[in-house]
Amino acid sequence: MTLPKREDPQGKRVSLFVTCLVDMLYPATGWAVVDILEYLNVQVDFPPNQTCCGQPGFNAGHRADARQVAIQFLKAFKDAQVIVTPSGSCAAMVRHEYPDLFAEDPLWGAEAARVAAITWEITEFIVDGLGITDLHLRLPARNVFAFHDACHGLRMLGLGRAARALLGSTENAVVGELAESDVCCGFGGLFSVKMADVSGAMLERKISQIEACPAETIVCGDASCLMHINGGLSRQASSKSVRHIAEILAAGLPDKTK
Amino acid sequence: MSTSRDRILDRLRAAQPLAVAVKPSNGHLPMVPLGGQSPAGLRAQFIEQAEKLACIIHQPAAGTDAIQTVLGIIGADRLILSWGLEHIGLPGFAEALATSGIRATQAREASARIGVTGVDACLAATGSLVIATGVGKPRVASLLPPVHIAIVRPGQIIADFETWVALQHRNGPDDFRAQASQVVISGPSRTADIAMQLILGMHGPGELHLVIVGAYRGNI
Amino acid sequence: MKVTSNAFIPVAQVALLDHEMRRSVHEGTTTAYQKRLIGMFQSGEEHGEAMRQQAAQAKRRALSRLPQLLEQAEANLTANGAHVLWAEDGDEANRLVLEIARRHGAQSVVKSKSMVSEEIGLNHALEGQGIEVIETDLGEYIIQLAHETPSHIVAPVIHKSLASIRDLFIQQLEMPPTDDAGVMARFARQVLRAKFIAADMGITGGNFVIAETRTVCLVTNEGNGRLVTSLPRIHIAIVGIEKIVETLADYATLTQILPRSATGQSLAVYTHMYNGPRRSGETDGPEEMYVIFVDNGRSEIYGTKYAEVLTCIRCGACMNACPVYRSTGGHAYGWVYPGPVGAVLTPLLNGLENARPLPHASSLCGACKQVCPVDIDLPRMLLDLRDDLFQQGHAEGIWKWGLKLWALGNQSPLLFELGGRAARTLTGGRAPRKLPGPLRGWSKFRDFPPFAKKSFRQQWRERRGT
Repeated sequence: MTLPKREDPQGKRVSLFVTCLVDMLYPATGWAVVDILEYLNVQVDFPPNQTCCGQPGFNAGHRADARQVAIQFLKAFKDAQVIVTPSGSCAAMVRHEYPDLFAEDPLWGAEAARVAAITWEITEFIVDGLGITDLHLRLPARNVFAFHDACHGLRMLGLGRAARALLGSTENAVVGELAESDVCCGFGGLFSVKMADVSGAMLERKISQIEACPAETIVCGDASCLMHINGGLSRQASSKSVRHIAEILAAGLPDKTK
Repeated sequence: MSTSRDRILDRLRAAQPLAVAVKPSNGHLPMVPLGGQSPAGLRAQFIEQAEKLACIIHQPAAGTDAIQTVLGIIGADRLILSWGLEHIGLPGFAEALATSGIRATQAREASARIGVTGVDACLAATGSLVIATGVGKPRVASLLPPVHIAIVRPGQIIADFETWVALQHRNGPDDFRAQASQVVISGPSRTADIAMQLILGMHGPGELHLVIVGAYRGNI
Repeated sequence: MKVTSNAFIPVAQVALLDHEMRRSVHEGTTTAYQKRLIGMFQSGEEHGEAMRQQAAQAKRRALSRLPQLLEQAEANLTANGAHVLWAEDGDEANRLVLEIARRHGAQSVVKSKSMVSEEIGLNHALEGQGIEVIETDLGEYIIQLAHETPSHIVAPVIHKSLASIRDLFIQQLEMPPTDDAGVMARFARQVLRAKFIAADMGITGGNFVIAETRTVCLVTNEGNGRLVTSLPRIHIAIVGIEKIVETLADYATLTQILPRSATGQSLAVYTHMYNGPRRSGETDGPEEMYVIFVDNGRSEIYGTKYAEVLTCIRCGACMNACPVYRSTGGHAYGWVYPGPVGAVLTPLLNGLENARPLPHASSLCGACKQVCPVDIDLPRMLLDLRDDLFQQGHAEGIWKWGLKLWALGNQSPLLFELGGRAARTLTGGRAPRKLPGPLRGWSKFRDFPPFAKKSFRQQWRERRGT
């Protein structure tokens, strides 16, 4: 599997793909991404007709339905020069699956290949796209973090390194280790409800690692894992929580006008 | 009238060429990159790897010391299972056994505690022995008794499995095929089937002694 | 073996309540996973990855020439003195074995571990004809005593605790009670040694068949493979047709990567190569050697986009890495091959309709592909099988219509926004206690967050105007 090569995004306008979960459940994450990008003097817009990347239907095996949703994505982002998203799994869907999904399509094939080559997850955009590993951030108070690596981002896009670099260079952020950080939390899209008991067992394991970890806050780059793990942590009245890397970094921005 | 064989092969042929992506191979990397090693280096590597596998290493200086070592392990036993002594390559061994009143048999003696064999080659990279079958080289000698003593002569230690493979080709495929079977032995028999606990000596020998003869001037 | 994979969900539910089993499986898989890391990358990460690619190429090259290599292997195994037979399916394979047993008057068989023999139900067929069959791999022997099926292709009793094995030996073998694993193993050794010596026939599988040298290859750690093929006067090797590799050099790579992937060992304790029956003048080894090439559905897979799954070398690394397998253990998968490779092979060899849940029994985390020594894209195959399930009409009604609704809602920005607002209104801005309909499984273990008072796009419009 070779991912489509991307051009240097420096100096280009960024179109935010906020993702359906962030839009409806975690809008603060979307603003965190906007704040960070604008702090880096990146021009950001928000194509208003965006909805979802189509991954839930695709992963469930309903390809025709997924394709319809993906077409809406292509329409919404037809004027985009660079697309940035706070989700490793959505970025993987676009970069990894869109070209195949539209391979035989005379109407959308070229556009699918185009967006696959301009899409970035937020941390890889900063580190690999803009070449910045230190954002000169300072958190208001000392905090101990540990990463949970979301699977699609980790294995399909090689994410994790960039996020650790950015948090590691942030003042007042101490980054520790979470045991089995690269083991799946059990979300897997509709797997979480179709195979709820197995999903629950995988979550149980993840939560026991989190409780045993010295960090109070677990860092993740995917709202889907975050929603699933936080759902379990709150059900067990845990004092710990998972937060999105973008929100944690944004909390360290010098001029917070939120 | 088509046979199962015909039907299977026909189905396979009908599906060719496969869409499976095959990159042309550029040479064969050895699994363990040893680099060029001197005989002394190979010996040291072999011993290090064999010890990791729980082999018991003996390094007698010469042939006579080797015989003493083997007799020491045999102890008070009066029967051993062994290769035909001419295949072991330890001059004086037959006489020493006779003197000590120890009978060496090639038959499948269930009561024998000790098995003595030579080796066909040793692989330094993995601490392994290669043992081929042949007339006078019964399999049971390295298999039935709980203790296996393997006599290794220095020139027999080669780098690795890949080197051994190349040697088989050099000797010609018929040589390899003329042997009913070869086995590469890496340490004593073991199992971890009971709750992942490592136990030596499941079915094969639980104790493997490697007697690596030193400055040995016999025929290799 | 009978396929019960359609019962994956209820069987898994029950399995998840078995805490002793879960502990054993978790311990076993994570230990093997750690050992693999050490074994595969002892010469550095780059070298380890290069060897994975080399192994993948060796198997794919062989696969692309499979029929030619099978003929090559047959011609010269025969020249080596072995008899080569072909079986289209399990029944035929069992018939061939029974004919051989009858011809040679064999009444007792000792077996070395063979997954393909589990596939075809060989033991059952032999015992049905009054032939005694003893599994000699310790794990398989325990399975046999317990009248169970193996739950892992390399560690068949990974799901059993020491206490349960102890109890089994006490009950079935009259072993004096002990909690010492070494004592237990030695007891089994002594029981099985007698069987090896008395057996008429030895049956093994085959990890690889080398076309170039016409050799059948086997790996074991215990030594039972050697005993099974040295003491009885007949040796039958039953191998799936996909086990062919081209050259001895390819075999060198594969027979070293297999143990590293499986248990972290550099080589299995016994790496055997069998070229034919004993030579004249030899005193042990089989007088007759048979090799049975078994198809049992493999040639059907060969012509499809799933052909690559036939390069599997049965190392078990995928199930050790799989978080689903680690939770449920192997029995829930309902057939011989569990875990990721099982989720693909079971429907392909038995029909999708007999294993409908399996392609969905995965979060698609990709750990399996990451550890596979021959780089099989299992997640891709699971996705494709899910697509096949849909195309063949196996999608459950509720999901078919639910996802159609989802697709409609997401094709229109207006519907998307209206849907979000409706959800916000319906839940009153609070975390919904229970999710509706097919989503209710969520609420068994998890809370759901409240819908944001204002969605991101609403906020953007308000703050940025566009």
